[in-house]
Amino acid sequence: MTACTVELSIFRFKPGRIDPPRFESFRVEAEKGMTVLDALERIRLTQDGSLVYRRSCHHSSCGTCACRINGIERLTCRTRLLDLGTETVRLEPLRGFERIGDLAVRMEAFYRDIEPGWSYLTPSAPGEADPGAAPLRFEACIECGCCVSACPATRLRPDFMGPAALAAMHNEISKNPPAADGLLRTAGNERGERWCERALACSRVCPTGVHPARRIADLRRELKKRPA
Amino acid sequence: MPAFEHILIIGGGVGGALAHDLALRGFKVTLVEKGELLSGTSGRHHGLLHSGARYVLHDPGAAVECWQENRVLQRIAAQAIEPNGGLFVALDERDLSFREAFLDRCRSAGIPARPIPTSQAIGMEPALSPALQAAVMVPDAVMDAWRLPMHFFATARANGAAIRNFTEVTALRMTGRAVAGVGVTDHRTEATGTISADLVVNAAGPWAGRIAAMAGIRIPLQPSPGVMVSVQGRLTQRVINRLQPAGEGDIIVPQRGLSILGTTAWLADDPDTVSVPPGHVPRLFDLCRALVPAIGGLQPHAVWSACRPLLQNGEAVDPYRVSRSFGCFDHGQRDGVEGLVTVIGGKATTMRAMAEKTADLICRKTGRQIPCRTRDTVLLPYRNFWRNT
Repeated sequence: MTACTVELSIFRFKPGRIDPPRFESFRVEAEKGMTVLDALERIRLTQDGSLVYRRSCHHSSCGTCACRINGIERLTCRTRLLDLGTETVRLEPLRGFERIGDLAVRMEAFYRDIEPGWSYLTPSAPGEADPGAAPLRFEACIECGCCVSACPATRLRPDFMGPAALAAMHNEISKNPPAADGLLRTAGNERGERWCERALACSRVCPTGVHPARRIADLRRELKKRPA
Repeated sequence: MPAFEHILIIGGGVGGALAHDLALRGFKVTLVEKGELLSGTSGRHHGLLHSGARYVLHDPGAAVECWQENRVLQRIAAQAIEPNGGLFVALDERDLSFREAFLDRCRSAGIPARPIPTSQAIGMEPALSPALQAAVMVPDAVMDAWRLPMHFFATARANGAAIRNFTEVTALRMTGRAVAGVGVTDHRTEATGTISADLVVNAAGPWAGRIAAMAGIRIPLQPSPGVMVSVQGRLTQRVINRLQPAGEGDIIVPQRGLSILGTTAWLADDPDTVSVPPGHVPRLFDLCRALVPAIGGLQPHAVWSACRPLLQNGEAVDPYRVSRSFGCFDHGQRDGVEGLVTVIGGKATTMRAMAEKTADLICRKTGRQIPCRTRDTVLLPYRNFWRNT
């Protein structure tokens, strides 16, 4: 088994205690296949039990473990340490969210413009003669927050709905036609689609191929067809 | 309505379902979890919502429990379930030898299992092995292992339960021989403190032994880690199970665009399993490739392990033979330590039932007669957890 030592430079923040935030270095023996999340688990269990980070499923279905790895938004559970190719791996929390501590952020802002009742299931073959017969699947969006953190427009305008909410709206419009009108109006409001700069950062960092940028462009086309 | 006794729950897994049940019954509830919610066992499994068929051959009690709870969860948390069914498939003579018993036991457990011609099975699931000898349809389904239990947390919080993640229990606070609360460290700030409670519930899963030890109590808990592997690509629409008694590498659970191969199992003393033992991943690939040959050409998308909190109530030392049923212990009655209840065992599929039994026990201990309402209370969407906090 090939192993080498990798240094993790981790953003540390504990309100009132490690405040202002600073980076702290930890070293781990990185085995082949070891993920950033595996490394965080090892550090927490053997070096520093106070390290705070979010995680649950360990296979990119829950979306809890996103953070910035060497400056790019990624899931820690799907990022292999040795694939990063850097001697030091820098870990920071997502941007654009209130910080809980260390690498963990609060997700309240993520759900601000996503209605709790929007369906999380989608027919696997839309447009079939009998949609009721189509097998149902979970949405591809795992609500990890990578796209929001990477979006330059969200950083300039914190009240912009952001790519995740607009992509969710686009999705809900296709699944729930009676609600389409109202949803489109919301997407076009003063906090909506107009602030997207087409930077495409959202689509680049999305770990599950949701392509928020393409969906926002779709919404924009639909809105253009309507009278102002 | 003034709240009844203050119940403190240790563990943000199955504890979420218990917080919901107790809040509905009118108790004041605080739940503490040392990490993120569902980061221990309950959020980290392959996602099978059991029909119960997996257990009919060796654990009929768990089978019946699973089928009941499968239907309840489809009613109360439909948005967290891909309701696409499952197949048990026989690939050789040995598998075929279990077929009649399997169908018989499914009938006795009330699980609607239906044999179908192999040609029909291949038509439904073209990726199945051409060696297919027999196929049985069962009402398995797939849950989102994070979002389904988050429905319980969202509803519990809306009903007044305080949910505190990143808060680790460091001690049980004793008054004489009775537990009166807990000492905690809040890892967000490393502040320490105590939380008083009328009753403490130890729902720490594979870590429950450590909590019980804080009161000098031993519980019949056997941590049993297992490995799972996900591969990119949804190879089948339905859950595929090998028609054999439960064992290694006997299931493929499709979910979104992934297929998850499960599982292996061993016995451990330490629930904090951080490494995957050598050989487990190739073994899962080999065994699951027999079910769906295309798996042989794929690379792992993720490899992880999780630790089952098995209830050791017999002589069985084979982790696949230990019952998946659960137990609630009243430590006042069992060990002379009042104020502490432990719930261990069970499965994600039966988390609501575990909560019901535990809340029933708490009602008996507090002298309250309040019926359980969680079977028919449709849960709030999981996203509500992050609203109005």
